[in-house]
Amino acid sequence: MILELKNIDKSFGEKEVLKGVTFTAEGGKAFGLLGRNGAGKTTSIRILMNVFPANSGEVFIDGKPIDYDKIGIGYLPEERGLYPKKIIIDQLVYFAELKGMNTKDAVKSVDYWLERLGMTEYRNKRLDTLSKGNQQKIQLITALAHNPDIVILDEPFSGLDPVNAMLLKDVVKEQISKGKIVLFSSHQMSYIEEFCDSIAIINAGKVAISGDLHEIKRNYVRDKLVVSTTNPEQIKADLGNSCFKRDDGTLLIQLGTPDEKQAMMKRLVENYDIDEVKVFEPSLNDIFVEYAGEKI
Amino acid sequence: MKQFAKILKFELKGYLRNKIFVGITIFLIVAIAIVMFIPNIIAAFQSDDDGEAITTDLPTMLIYAEDENLSAIVSEYFGNTFVEYNVKVAGGSLDDVKNEITSGFAECAFVMNSASSYTYYVNNLSMYDSNTAIADTVLQEVYRINAMMQNGLTPEQVGEIMSVQIVSSTETLGKDQMQNFFYTYIMIFALYMVILLYGQMVATNVATEKSSRAMEVLITSAKPTSMMFGKVLASCIAGFSQLVLVFGTAILLYNVNKNALSNPLIASIFDIPLELFIYLIVFFVLGFLIYAFMFGAIGSTASKLEDINTSVMPITFLFIIAFMVVMFSMSSGSVDNTAMLVCSYIPFTSPMAMFTRICMSTVAWYEIFISIAILIGSTIGIGVLSAKIYRVGVLLYGTPPKISTILKTVFKKQ
Repeated sequence: MILELKNIDKSFGEKEVLKGVTFTAEGGKAFGLLGRNGAGKTTSIRILMNVFPANSGEVFIDGKPIDYDKIGIGYLPEERGLYPKKIIIDQLVYFAELKGMNTKDAVKSVDYWLERLGMTEYRNKRLDTLSKGNQQKIQLITALAHNPDIVILDEPFSGLDPVNAMLLKDVVKEQISKGKIVLFSSHQMSYIEEFCDSIAIINAGKVAISGDLHEIKRNYVRDKLVVSTTNPEQIKADLGNSCFKRDDGTLLIQLGTPDEKQAMMKRLVENYDIDEVKVFEPSLNDIFVEYAGEKI
Repeated sequence: MKQFAKILKFELKGYLRNKIFVGITIFLIVAIAIVMFIPNIIAAFQSDDDGEAITTDLPTMLIYAEDENLSAIVSEYFGNTFVEYNVKVAGGSLDDVKNEITSGFAECAFVMNSASSYTYYVNNLSMYDSNTAIADTVLQEVYRINAMMQNGLTPEQVGEIMSVQIVSSTETLGKDQMQNFFYTYIMIFALYMVILLYGQMVATNVATEKSSRAMEVLITSAKPTSMMFGKVLASCIAGFSQLVLVFGTAILLYNVNKNALSNPLIASIFDIPLELFIYLIVFFVLGFLIYAFMFGAIGSTASKLEDINTSVMPITFLFIIAFMVVMFSMSSGSVDNTAMLVCSYIPFTSPMAMFTRICMSTVAWYEIFISIAILIGSTIGIGVLSAKIYRVGVLLYGTPPKISTILKTVFKKQ
């Protein structure tokens, strides 16, 4: 299954929030939707979920306009919250029913998920009696209980302890392995790097870059070298402003052009005591800062 | 439709599990039961006492006159008239009489200057003190009897003249305002209470979902129209069931205690004609819905529960004005004044105004039909509009937006 957002424009009053947002996410893979606060991620998600219509552009599934009666979407919003005063099983079943399940199946599915997330003992308790992390697990069930085709998780790991984060990772991997489209939105780049095969970075309502994460990294301009050496100070003194010392003690050397790579490597190996020299591969964090950083 | 049914069921369950809702209903039923059984209870106690020692606790009324003959005659007549007083002839001086009143021994005194002139002494004059009016009537009668006897009429003739009976009857061709007044009053008041109470509940309900952020999931799970109609109809059903329970209990217990409750006033409340009862339900349901939709829409624009009270104020004012117009017109006795005529076609005021006019005046069928038609159309229109406001409103956080801004957004979309 392939989900496509094509040329989505959206304005609220005079303010243009999305300008031609386009990206593609595939089933069986996780997709990371990145962007700074206010970049337009939540608006894109809401349009995808048909909360409000786009001014122009369309959402497609396998090349056809999406039919919301047939495609189930599960959503874990960034702003968590359910009914604090209501019994957990009642509200979970209610949300599953709203998504089109019958009562019997809804109860069965909710019970499965309560068991799976170790929450069965809270089944008949009020939500506000639970800790924040446990409330978050209950909220996750609202996104998964109706067995959706598309799972949208907005900052799923925030507020979870390492054990619960591990449990959530397993659940997410399981959803991916079932062939579902898992759409992540997060500022925690390590999780996105761990799960997502492809990403889109939205900046000021436009897609700044999108596609396969490995390809994005590979296509990154290869004009920096990372050098591990016993005498960094001397190299730094010799190369001047084009050399920076990194937090881990290695050096980052900025080349004039990528073509200077071979010559610089040779020069370093011949003149200094070098442990390792390699072309700098950016982390997702570096890519994010570059594409989402300054243009707002 | 399926979604709507689920929402309705969930919201209704919420009302049934709401301890305050259940508590108030039970309290009202118990209160009604007590009121209905009071005459029986009093009767039971009275039959035990057999009317003994009733006079002992009566307040004292003193009659004072320099002419002993006059004080004897007046005290005899007053004794027969003021049965709730222990009427005594006072001895001593005028100051003694005043002292007895200020010390609390006697409650009041009539100091007779002549057969047709007196001074009434009382410690604290109550707003409802009608003793002088009664005394005037009795003294006039005494004066007339004496005058007639002095002019040579026999006591029998005087008795005949004084006890003449006037036979009269009233044929009401339209509506009997006296008889309909009380149930109209009660129904208008019930409508007022229920709409304000439940309207506020709907607004709070929506705002709670928003402030707890349950809305984030809800709005992506269900259509705003289903949400709005589900919520409002659930509150309508809950409110209506509460009324049916309370008034049902009242009617049932009235029939059980019918003999004890022989008061014609109470009887008039329960003898509501079927036709009026049907109008009552129509106006009640439509009035409830139109306001509940507005309250729901307003609730969706508030981000915090604290904002609700200020946000709903315009609607509450509108409603209170409608209520005041109806109440003043009812007490003035002219329910067909211009304000009422206008109000009976405006959908926000017609549930109370038109219902009152139907109850207490004669209204042509087509007037009722037009009023109901306007009300039905407006209710549907307001319902759809409120669902649209709801969809825009629930996603807006921060300072509650102006209703004009929201309406602009809603209409721009269409």
